[in-house]
Amino acid sequence: MNQRSDVLTLEAVGKSFGTTTVLRDISLSVASNEFLTILGPSGSGKTTILRLIAGFEAPTTGRIMLDGADISQMPINRRPFNTVFQDYALFPHLSVRRNVGYGLMVRGVPKAEIGPRVEAVLAIVGLQDYALRLPRELSGGQRQRVALARAIICEPRVILLDEPLAALDVALRAQMCKFLKDIQRRLDIAFVFITHDQQEAIAMSDRIVVMRDGRIEQIGGPEELYGFPASRFVAGFFGENNLIDGVVRAIDGARCEVETPIGPLWGVTCGPAAAVGAEVHLSIRPEALVPGATEGHRFLVRDAQFAGPTTLIEAQGVEAPEVTLRLRLPSGGTRALPSVGDVVAIGWSEADARVIAAEGSNG
Amino acid sequence: MDDRRDLWRMGWAAFCLGLPFLFVLAPIGTFILYSFWHNESGALVREFTLENYRAFFADPVFRSIYLQTVALCLGATIVNLVAGYGIALFASRRPPRLRFALILMFMLPLFTSYIIKVYAVRGILGHRGVLNELLIASGLISEPITAFIFSQSAIFLTFIVLYLPFAILPIYLSIERIPENLGTASADLGGSQMDEIRHIILPLSLPGVVVAALFNFVMTFGDFVTPTMVGGTEGFTFGRIVFSQFGVALNWPLGAALAVILLATSVLAVGVAGLAMRWSTAR
Ligand SMILES: Nc1ncnc2c1ncn2[C@@H]1O[C@H](COP(=O)(O)OP(=O)(O)O)[C@@H](O)[C@H]1O
Ligand SMILES: [Mg+2]
Repeated sequence: MNQRSDVLTLEAVGKSFGTTTVLRDISLSVASNEFLTILGPSGSGKTTILRLIAGFEAPTTGRIMLDGADISQMPINRRPFNTVFQDYALFPHLSVRRNVGYGLMVRGVPKAEIGPRVEAVLAIVGLQDYALRLPRELSGGQRQRVALARAIICEPRVILLDEPLAALDVALRAQMCKFLKDIQRRLDIAFVFITHDQQEAIAMSDRIVVMRDGRIEQIGGPEELYGFPASRFVAGFFGENNLIDGVVRAIDGARCEVETPIGPLWGVTCGPAAAVGAEVHLSIRPEALVPGATEGHRFLVRDAQFAGPTTLIEAQGVEAPEVTLRLRLPSGGTRALPSVGDVVAIGWSEADARVIAAEGSNG
Repeated sequence: MDDRRDLWRMGWAAFCLGLPFLFVLAPIGTFILYSFWHNESGALVREFTLENYRAFFADPVFRSIYLQTVALCLGATIVNLVAGYGIALFASRRPPRLRFALILMFMLPLFTSYIIKVYAVRGILGHRGVLNELLIASGLISEPITAFIFSQSAIFLTFIVLYLPFAILPIYLSIERIPENLGTASADLGGSQMDEIRHIILPLSLPGVVVAALFNFVMTFGDFVTPTMVGGTEGFTFGRIVFSQFGVALNWPLGAALAVILLATSVLAVGVAGLAMRWSTAR
């Protein structure tokens, strides 16, 4: 039943600091060559999960398993994981070469062997010419590569990366994204990658764990989370979803009909099944909305923002002014874009409308 | 408006530069000048001469006391560095509150008067002191050991007691400044506690060690009060000789020359310490 081989498993892991509970009931597994991303807003407990895996903290409850064996009590320096720290944590007094060779040196690998291995790893990250520099003589992106090289050289089963791209500027971030993904494929080992940026998560991950207030909100592949968010929180995290509030009127298998300010609408249920009378949101992606449909609801175009290949349009319901929709349309399309002040009919395919349970008072 | 601010700035700069000039450089300049004059039948002769320096280098007693004092102070410094490092490292690895209490405890001697501390040490080391009483009570010796007091070793022990806080504090502060996650990174890469101390903590706290070494060496080397009080006739040090030229022999030019040599030794120590800082980075 377990055809993917899991290297790392967290079983109902919880963590409290004194009386504050930071993580609750975290269960997840990492396949041996998976790029797993932990995504969540700041303070949601992402770093704490990583620190538990690395062994910097001990879980309060639950177990952490490596190849099926409990490693909750294993000391840090014996775990076959290596961390790329949020601020890199490079040793400031050691050159790039010595930073990268550190893991081998403390393991007692002979000097003659360390040199060539360091060179090989520096070549992988493209820093052959920087071996003798000190960390303070490097740029942010280069430091990050050193941090990665320092982890890679230890040949860990899992590399743990804590928001490694957060400190980089936008252009470099996109480049490093691709670079990290390439390296992960090449080494064929597991990466557990933390970010609060959904674009990074979508671009790189095999699977994404969405965190919220110390709990897992949803686990799934990028398409799954993007297309079928199980909660308003996840829907909100993945881009600029349109959410229309309503109440369930009828249920038909995986579809249900929702009474909304712009009339009754059908959608596909995501996450836990809704009951008739339940408060829900209808979620539709901006790129799924079609203006000028023959059948549709009348909206007044309020704003149009050119964003390169696409244009973002904001429109307000004519009959129901409390409903605002955002549309993302190709800028260079064959049809002329609606302009501000136009009244357009907006339609969508029923399969693109998702029904998501509304948030209870306890989330 | 701007003129006024400039005036303030210039005034402040003049103050910052002027104060050390007035209280440090001017006196040093004066005694350097003195060291090139000489005394003739009790009267100062203001003529340039190297006589005083020649007197130092030609006199085997001066030379041997000088070397003995260098060895004594180096020894005390090394003992204090080792002990101070151990204490600072131990304290830095305790939980924050205990850490503070420990450091405060070791700094307590700094808040008490120098004279009281010296007498306290005399009380411990003396003929009928605590140490001797303890050793006699335990049956290890039958007669009090007199070497504890009025000897070079008495000075040595007193130096250690008096100047240990000056070793602990700079070392502790420099260990405290090392980001915690460097230690975590060392462990993450497979390093043991010993690896962390040896490869990370020790080199990164080297500036603190150097400052501690300087404090200890320079302060013990110039100290003439401690040797006078616990050294007796056996415990003659270079600081005491300098002092005696001013206070007893009233040969100020010779005293000044010896003081210049003392100063030069301290400056040399600063230079050596500066070189030691290079060991902290490895390419
Ligand atoms: N050592 C600690 N003691 C107390 N609270 C902590 C500690 N470490 C983290 N926390 C708390 O746990 C929560 C999650 O922190 P963290 O895992 O760093 O979140 P993230 O990485 O997602 O931003 C935060 O509210 C933080 O204040
Ligand atoms: Mg974090």
